Amino acid sequence: MRFGRKRGMSAYIERRSPSTFKIQITSMVDMFVILLVFLLKSYSTSPVNVTPSDDLTLPASSSLKDPAENLKLVVSKAGIFVEDEKVLDLKDGRLDVAEVDASDTQFIRKLYEALDQQAKKSRDIASQNSELEFDGKVIMQADRSLPYEILRKVMYTSMLAGYSDVKIAVMLKE
Amino acid sequence: MRIQRTRTDDSTFELNLAPMLDIIVSIVPMLLLSVVFVRITVVDTPVPQAVEQAVAAANEKNKDLVQVSMMVTKDRAVKITVVDRGQNKEFDVPGKLSATTTDGKVVVDLDALYQKAVAIKREYPDVFRMEFNPDESLPLEDLVVVMDQVRKLKSNETKVQFTDVTSGKPIETDLMFPDVVFGNVAGG
Repeated sequence: MRFGRKRGMSAYIERRSPSTFKIQITSMVDMFVILLVFLLKSYSTSPVNVTPSDDLTLPASSSLKDPAENLKLVVSKAGIFVEDEKVLDLKDGRLDVAEVDASDTQFIRKLYEALDQQAKKSRDIASQNSELEFDGKVIMQADRSLPYEILRKVMYTSMLAGYSDVKIAVMLKE
Repeated sequence: MRIQRTRTDDSTFELNLAPMLDIIVSIVPMLLLSVVFVRITVVDTPVPQAVEQAVAAANEKNKDLVQVSMMVTKDRAVKITVVDRGQNKEFDVPGKLSATTTDGKVVVDLDALYQKAVAIKREYPDVFRMEFNPDESLPLEDLVVVMDQVRKLKSNETKVQFTDVTSGKPIETDLMFPDVVFGNVAGG
């Protein structure tokens, strides 16, 4: 009798099926390449990012102008935001009377202060860096159902704060 | 004579796809995070400023001779006024009943507005700026639709020809009134 050699069923299994095996990944790579092409096609580096919510639905337009990197002003049904920071609340798209200046009914003081702060910051940066210039451009993302009454107040206040070039963000109509 | 055959390797071989798969698996999550299904663009609406306007007016004397303004009322009627060297011309586009709803909702007659805008553009091909004075109650959605209607000629229309002030050469364009300015923002 020889020692060190398996016999019977165990020897048969060892002989027939080796312990290592290869997965067939060609079809998986095919699938990933198709997915990669699709994702590359819809890849975006746009400076305007819209967080979808019930309070902010942009209007649809045929305008093809791409947005540039500018100050972000969001006017949703829930409130007004400057660079993602909430400045004041809106109650279902309505502005509280107390928020509007008594002597000038178009002027929103809180918004002015927030925009003025941003303008000062931009001017300070521009004074240090000659390549940058304060151009007073602002991208306004406003809900499509908001009345012009509010937008007019927002535009008027931003104009007084030095942001006179307002660009309205819209969804591209296909 | 006997032909000497050299021994060659097997003609089939298996490509090692594992590193490629590694790269793709790393890229896919990154692209998934930055994928967008809605493209965001912008509509230019600069606010007029007294000083800026005065400077612009002084610089562009020709433009100052003809001014086009558009007013949209609460009942969706559009009134376009053209001031041509002090002479006023008015074009009215009354609102119409919505074809999509049955609740008697009045909407802006976009086709009639487009026809009027085209007629004005053909008469004044070198005017690109339009002052927009909408009623306060109108929602942004309606304003954007009206601005879209007067921005560009439709693809089946013949283009508008105007003379370039600097070079004196004729230029063809499909733009009508791309510079829409909210005229009633600063007091009005």
